[in-house]
Amino acid sequence: MIRHLFKLIWNRKKSNFLLMTEIFFCFLVLFAVLSLVVYNVRNYNKPLGFSHENVWLLSMRPATDSTALNRQQLEQLLQRAKAFQEVENISLSSSNSPFSFSQMMNVVKYKDKEVTPNFYEVQDDFDKVMQLQVSRGRWFGAPDDASHHEPVVINKELQQRLFLEEDPLGKLIPKNDSVNYQVVGVVEHFRPGSEYTAEEPGMLTRINLPKNKDAFHGELLIRVKAGTGVTFEETMVKEFSGITKNWTLEVTTLEKMRQNKAKLAMVPLIALGVICGFLIFNVALGLFGVLWYNINSRNSEIGLRRALGASARQVYHQFIGEVLVLATFGLLLGIAFAVQIPLLQVFQVETEVYMDALLISVGIIYLLAISCAFYPSKQAAAIHPAIALHEE
Amino acid sequence: MLKNYLKIAWKVLLRRKFFTFISLFGISFTLMVLMVATALYDHAFGPQMPEHDMDRLLFVNMIRVSRDGGYMNSSPPSYHFLNRHVRTMHTPEQVSINSVFHTVNSYINNRKLALDLKHTDSEFWQLLDFNFVEGGPFSQQDVQSANRVAVINKTTREQYFGDMEAVGKTIEADQVKYRVVGVVEDVPVLRLHSYADVWVPISLRSQDFNKPGLHGVYFATIKAHKPADVSSIKAEYATMLAEVERQQPEKGTEVHSSPDSVVESFARTFLGNGRESGLLKLYALLAGVALLFMLLPAINLVNINISRIMERSSEIGVRKAFGATSSNVISQFIIENIFLTLLGGLVGFALSAVALWLINDSNLIAYAHLALNLRVFAIGLLLCLLFGLLSGVYPAYKMSRLHAVEALKGGIK
Repeated sequence: MIRHLFKLIWNRKKSNFLLMTEIFFCFLVLFAVLSLVVYNVRNYNKPLGFSHENVWLLSMRPATDSTALNRQQLEQLLQRAKAFQEVENISLSSSNSPFSFSQMMNVVKYKDKEVTPNFYEVQDDFDKVMQLQVSRGRWFGAPDDASHHEPVVINKELQQRLFLEEDPLGKLIPKNDSVNYQVVGVVEHFRPGSEYTAEEPGMLTRINLPKNKDAFHGELLIRVKAGTGVTFEETMVKEFSGITKNWTLEVTTLEKMRQNKAKLAMVPLIALGVICGFLIFNVALGLFGVLWYNINSRNSEIGLRRALGASARQVYHQFIGEVLVLATFGLLLGIAFAVQIPLLQVFQVETEVYMDALLISVGIIYLLAISCAFYPSKQAAAIHPAIALHEE
Repeated sequence: MLKNYLKIAWKVLLRRKFFTFISLFGISFTLMVLMVATALYDHAFGPQMPEHDMDRLLFVNMIRVSRDGGYMNSSPPSYHFLNRHVRTMHTPEQVSINSVFHTVNSYINNRKLALDLKHTDSEFWQLLDFNFVEGGPFSQQDVQSANRVAVINKTTREQYFGDMEAVGKTIEADQVKYRVVGVVEDVPVLRLHSYADVWVPISLRSQDFNKPGLHGVYFATIKAHKPADVSSIKAEYATMLAEVERQQPEKGTEVHSSPDSVVESFARTFLGNGRESGLLKLYALLAGVALLFMLLPAINLVNINISRIMERSSEIGVRKAFGATSSNVISQFIIENIFLTLLGGLVGFALSAVALWLINDSNLIAYAHLALNLRVFAIGLLLCLLFGLLSGVYPAYKMSRLHAVEALKGGIK
């Protein structure tokens, strides 16, 4: 039966060619959009590894180049910040604080492995500010002052890429000729970029203000007590401006930054989704129209089959089957193109994303084909043989 | 003859309403998306308040320094560089130096306003056409004596003072008080070089003025006497930059920067590499995406058109039997198709007006007022025709090759 159907479609390949091309392009569009959707949804469902509620970010841009003066003012500001009742914990951070638009990356080597993780410079209280859970080892802190090496906490992703099966704790990673990083802890997840990005290798290094006399960090993460609002923000900024004079200070909440990032990811996705949805609907209408016309113009053939004893059900199945075979031809071609992307590793994305997208696209196309063929086939099956043959 | 064709076309449309609906839906929706895209493009790159004379305006927003050994730094240029080398150029009519906007905080009645603030000189107001709602720009005098005056946009006025007049009142941003001298209509955020909520004199940042070096946080806006001067400005800029490059103390230093139109600077940021602007790449990319997007509806339309035409094979047979040539038949079907496309185009315009209104209303882009204008309308119409030809030629060609006898018998399978 199936072989017969394939033969039928193949024999009329010229007149079916356009339908197949249409299904082919439709599949490609679906596959591209769904890959993007699947990628984002999969990432969204992974844990971030920290909690951003009630965390504020203060950005400070000094007006002068004098490092000594800036440092002095910064330390005063930190003192003042800790003294506020509403503030639970604070931590300076490099410019790539959670949900920010900046990135800091560098190559690290261990044995013959080479990875380029994100570097996050943070202070000792960062784990409390962001409520990080260290799954193995410990968080760095004052006891590390005595250590010869620089303590770092890495995320699972970096551990897997750099150390594979080895125990990472205590391992040394060379920073430069004289200094090494020493891994003191591992966090299961740390994905501060955005909820929609994949887990990237990350390394948290320690900001040690007393040791580095001329280091300056312009971002301060502040965990405030729940329910603290804009009134406190105003008092805080006023106090800080008193200390820092001409600096530009800006306060925002991580929640707002998260929303900005989410908007950036969601808006194109929604726009693409809407466009894709209408394209598919358009194709569905077209397919329906063409199938309807084609099937209706085969009255005599149907009449003949019915007269020779085929049941309405058999006719119905034949037409649905034909459409499915048609869709299969288009899909085969489409899949041949689509699998090139994961095979050639065009983008650094897991193959599962493409597989999911591929399967869903195939499912949707078949569903589309069946639902478009449903009504015309039913009509064809209902044709009375005598009338059909009489018309002929 | 044409009138006859149109009459036939109209009758055919009414005969098969479902097919007509499919065709019209496909055409109008595709056109709607293309129109929204062109409106967005126009909004970002076309002449728009305050940048009206787009063909005379050039912007410097990036300077890139690279040295042997992989060192590379690119950022907006410094005031020092712009003031010394760009302001002194001979070919431009006027040059303005203004800062990259940054966000400042303002608190009113337990509410926080995050305002984007930009420092500008007085030339800025002369070479751009802002629409002043009240008051006017600050003067050269204000800039020279570093007065704390500000021009604000309408939205900021509303948030601060409600519907009241704002000129003469003060606003506070980052603990600094400014006296409002003018209110302008909102500038869309995509106009990166002019956009801000609050504009204040550049001399308030005079501590930056003497910092040597090439990197800073400033833009330059250059206006040419006439559009033809643009190329000579670019040439002078390149000569000037070569001189700057030569004066760099480190060996092997390369300095890249160039005055660009808005499209060029956009292309350079995302696709360019130093000397080349990537403009061609951008256009190729846009054309490619538009073509791919139109392909699916076009194939769909071809499919439907073939079915529609097949139905009419006896009509064609009769026409051919009475002596119509192939080209007669082809032109009839093409005209019919263009008629249908234009009809779909009309619906598409209505749809896109609704879509643009929705986008403006949703506040997705700050201060966007996307609008259908005549230029966008013309582009849409052109696309309509292209679309009509694209989907009409193949079926018409196929039909015209039918032999009269076969056609009269009921067409080919």
